[in-house]
Amino acid sequence: MTRAVVPEQGSGAAVPSMGRLGRSSLVARIGRIRTDGEVGESGVLSESGQSGEPGRSSQSSQSGQSGRSGRSGRSGRSGQSGQSSRASADRRAAWTARADRAAPYLFVSPAFLLLFAFGVLPIGLAAVVSLTDLDVGGLGDLGKVHFVGLENFTSLLASDSDFWPALGNTALFIVMGVPVIVVTSLAVAIGLNRSRSLLFRALRAFYFVPAVTGIVAVSLVFANLYNSQFGLLNHLLDAVGLPAVPWLADPTWAKVSVALVAIWRALGLNVIILLAAQQDIPREYYEAAALDGAGRVRQAFSITIPLLRFALFFVTVTTLINWMQFFDEPFVLTGGGPVGATTSASLYIYKEGFELNRFGFASAASLVLFVLIFAVTAFQLWLARRAGERR
Amino acid sequence: MRIRSVALRRVAATATALVVAAAVGACGSGGSGGAASSGSGTLKMWVMGDAGNGFKTLTADWSKQTGIKVDVQAIPWSEIHTKLTTAVASGNGPDVVQVGYSLVPTFQQAGALADLSSYAAAHPALQDGAYLEGASLKTLNPAGKLYTVPWTSDTRVLFYRTDLLTAAGISKPPTTWSELHDDAVTLAKRGSGKYGYYIPQWDLALPAEFAWQAGGDVTDASGAIKLDTPQMRTALDYYLSFYKDKAVPTAADFDQVAGFISGAAPMLISGPYLAKSVETQAPDLKGKWAVAPLPAGPAAGTSLFAGSGLGIWKNSAKTESALKLLDFLATPAAQVKWFQIDGDLPSVKTAMTDPALTADPNVAVYVKQLDDAKLLPLNPAWDKADQDLLDALNKAALQGADISSALGKIDQAAQGQPK
Repeated sequence: MTRAVVPEQGSGAAVPSMGRLGRSSLVARIGRIRTDGEVGESGVLSESGQSGEPGRSSQSSQSGQSGRSGRSGRSGRSGQSGQSSRASADRRAAWTARADRAAPYLFVSPAFLLLFAFGVLPIGLAAVVSLTDLDVGGLGDLGKVHFVGLENFTSLLASDSDFWPALGNTALFIVMGVPVIVVTSLAVAIGLNRSRSLLFRALRAFYFVPAVTGIVAVSLVFANLYNSQFGLLNHLLDAVGLPAVPWLADPTWAKVSVALVAIWRALGLNVIILLAAQQDIPREYYEAAALDGAGRVRQAFSITIPLLRFALFFVTVTTLINWMQFFDEPFVLTGGGPVGATTSASLYIYKEGFELNRFGFASAASLVLFVLIFAVTAFQLWLARRAGERR
Repeated sequence: MRIRSVALRRVAATATALVVAAAVGACGSGGSGGAASSGSGTLKMWVMGDAGNGFKTLTADWSKQTGIKVDVQAIPWSEIHTKLTTAVASGNGPDVVQVGYSLVPTFQQAGALADLSSYAAAHPALQDGAYLEGASLKTLNPAGKLYTVPWTSDTRVLFYRTDLLTAAGISKPPTTWSELHDDAVTLAKRGSGKYGYYIPQWDLALPAEFAWQAGGDVTDASGAIKLDTPQMRTALDYYLSFYKDKAVPTAADFDQVAGFISGAAPMLISGPYLAKSVETQAPDLKGKWAVAPLPAGPAAGTSLFAGSGLGIWKNSAKTESALKLLDFLATPAAQVKWFQIDGDLPSVKTAMTDPALTADPNVAVYVKQLDDAKLLPLNPAWDKADQDLLDALNKAALQGADISSALGKIDQAAQGQPK
């Protein structure tokens, strides 16, 4: 398409600029059409200034190179304009070449600016704040902020600090939550992939509903289901003759109950991810396996799960990061109680920072949590890369 | 065609980048234009909780008379901290703000409120003497300046189920610590799932109330946090005795309204808000429950003085109009009207004898209790110390942890905090 345009509007002015660009990439072609356009216009101008002979102009444009020399011979003015347009075309070409190099950066800059403004900058700020005693007074009057060195970190990591139990709770939540979510969402996704009937599509929606339901609504419902005085769950247990469970009333049980809600909420999204990944697996593999006599279980373990490993890796990494930042469910269901049993690291940071206004201390804690998450994720990536190499 | 659209897209992308950059820049420089958002005759007011509509009703007539409009914004209790810190950091607050007494130290620490002492002579709202002693201008502003003006009052009293007490052979509500304890133990013997008394695991004021009743305090003479006292130990022993004798529920999610209505917890210490909940949720329980002043400890029957005051934002440009609003809200008529609208008790002495209040026997008890009620310390270190104390108490009550070493540690940590 472009090639056809060039010789037609033609004139050689385009040729050197083409040569300079010397690329047949899309960006180069954009540059070319621009310079061609300039030359074409000036060519038209000189022709109309010259004479009204349509035959000549059509001849010159048809004959290309020779037409150009003929025209410039006839009129010095037209030749000059050709010269200057060629120079400006060169400048423009150079400018566009620079712009072309800048283009990718311009494309990523919105995302990058956002990432910088809401990702990198806050972390940097938190690092600075973590070395100060910033509180609500310091927000209004920076003169009240003092540099305290690593004091926040030493008191945070002291042996009697409440940060350790909070980290311990987080670890416990991860141990309870992440494997259950990965295994369950895989099992559910494999099950849901067996059929596209109306029932299965309805089930898919059923599993996804928790993911799009507001956490406050969820917590209200579960707080009432769990309640030890009037909760439905204990009522049902009682109806079948089982003893009541202190869902949110007892420190140990509260951990389990809170984790259950979080698992229920996280399942939907992961099931959808694994379901989508499964639909990329060619049917022929299953047909071939079935011909070889592999049953459904064998197919799942020998075809589906190995081919889902990237999706599974993604699900594992994101779930682990989410659970390291575990916050919503304990915040709305228990407020971290009873006796701090469901206070996760994130909830601890929130309480210190936003309820007790100890911004410096909370920043130190959030930095420590950030480093932990970073380390765990890097370790996972390393594991995955090693596993990939071995394959 | 395809080429042109690529060029076009490049332009669009560049434009987007510029727009985003401009928007980010605007965010950075924002905060300067906020002051002009409300009209010159409009006061921006933050009201806590869900009292926004009621407050509009309260000030409607006043606005008509004075021509000063009030733009009421209701701030949920859970968002106050975030809202306050944002306003302090951006310097962009309301003109008038309702300050819960528990938040007085935070507002003070933030330097969010204007010192009104220079206006005191001209404004009745800024003169002491009219206000209840428990939360007077002087007690609310111990440092001498004038930031917070009393507005509403709240206290804690004993709620009890007359029918269940009578059925258990208890003819009158407990008036002393030992009566409360013994009655609770008696009532708890009614069967499984039945208790005598209820101690909320989240009640930050109860340990201090017991300490006051034991003749102690939670601060020393200089105002510093001091929990490691013999009186506090007496108070905590009393607190824990209810758990030891299995007279109170241990479930963290025990609901006091449901528990009081069902009778699982026939006695508990709570505020007027509980009466409201019981009246709306169980109207047929009327006549089967009552309130009484707190049972007295070894020294006194002191209760908590809670409630909220009002303050004027530090850099408000409408201090005069705001002071007029404060004057209006401090009139006995406005105080009584607010009680009728929202149920908050007045803070002005003369309003306390208004027939609208005295007609209700429950309210008479609240009013009487307010005469013997104290504010929690207005020390910025108190919130953390109190939370740590309650955590330690819950651990002792539910897991048998030792509390004796905790008090000294809390004191030490509190004294290390900035005042």
